[in-house]
Amino acid sequence: MTLDAAGMIRGVADGEAGALRRLYDAQAPRLFGVAMAILRDRDAAADALHDAVVKIAARAAQFDPARGEAGAWLAAIVRHAALDLARARGRETPTDDPALGDTAVAPEALDRLLETQEADRLRECLNALESRNRQGILLAFVHGLSHAQIAARLDLPLGTVKAWIRRGLARLKGCLA
Amino acid sequence: MIPSDPEALDALAAEHVLGTLDAREAAEVNRALPVDAALREAVARWEARLAPLAGLAPPAAPPDDLWKRIEASVAKRAPAQVVPLRAVASGAAPARPDRLWKTWSIGATAVAAGLAAILFLRPADPPRMMTVLLTSRDQPAWLVEAEGGGLRLASLNPRPVEAGRAQQLWALPPGATAPTSLGLIPESGQARVAPGIVRPEPGMLIEITLEPPGGSPTGRPTGPILFIGRLAPATGT
Repeated sequence: MTLDAAGMIRGVADGEAGALRRLYDAQAPRLFGVAMAILRDRDAAADALHDAVVKIAARAAQFDPARGEAGAWLAAIVRHAALDLARARGRETPTDDPALGDTAVAPEALDRLLETQEADRLRECLNALESRNRQGILLAFVHGLSHAQIAARLDLPLGTVKAWIRRGLARLKGCLA
Repeated sequence: MIPSDPEALDALAAEHVLGTLDAREAAEVNRALPVDAALREAVARWEARLAPLAGLAPPAAPPDDLWKRIEASVAKRAPAQVVPLRAVASGAAPARPDRLWKTWSIGATAVAAGLAAILFLRPADPPRMMTVLLTSRDQPAWLVEAEGGGLRLASLNPRPVEAGRAQQLWALPPGATAPTSLGLIPESGQARVAPGIVRPEPGMLIEITLEPPGGSPTGRPTGPILFIGRLAPATGT
């Protein structure tokens, strides 16, 4: 029995008995955390993780370890399930303040990133961005905030936020290349 | 609109991964992903670039009953993959699907026969039956083999199903006037049709159509034919 995520996903694809349960047990706290950071509501986050795991079960055969890391593949499915729910809940209105309070990931939190080569590079490149630019990217990726919500939170015009994020992503790409 | 300009396409992929697209834009990207390889590539690269950020979300224990819910949902989906959806009453064939099948299968059969020869060089005993389902542009998509009185399907070129739609498998035995539903195609790229639903025989047409989630509401194909092929002996002439 393999304990790494890639091996467990392969087990799910092969229809191995109990493989999905083992994958869930090993990954659920991390993945539920990803959904919670975006939805900030246990019921909604549970719905998102439910939808995501059903998708993971159906798509396990499509996972290709040569094209990406297993944990990242799982987290991406959960993130997009949570983002779909956030969109359905009407996050585009800036008045729907996500009230992140102190729970928002602070830019210093970048230090908590895993000590992998990829994470090191990403941290360096994010740190090279202007602070509000970096914060906008973190608020969007980690907390699922829309352009309008980021604008409200950073007290910037919507158009400025859109342009900054676009430029920030382009710089990030250049830096990571 | 999905841009064709590589730079604009990459910017769209980046914001899709970042999560800042609005509902309409996100739905458009999700619809395009299965059919747009360049977009899929760009999204995969951005997922890889930003993936470490997912580690910033603090882990949290999910509700205790969540696994039970997931298990029930997965179990509910699984049998639909190979179990027949509903019996199809025999009767006059609907004009449209019948005509489509006839016109489409002429060219496809010749290509499938060629592929069959390539794929099955090993001698088979007893004689096997198989076909390769082709797209409308004669691209091979699925390998179908008769096996133990049922059918086995393997995707030759796995691609995600269009969001919110299902792919339904049908068989039309020679001389039959209406196709029989064999069930919904799972996303896994592998499927088995249990014996007893249809009797595989040479000349049987096999097709996959695009249908609403849960399958055709009428018991007959309602959507476009995605893939089609004709069952033939895999060895001998």
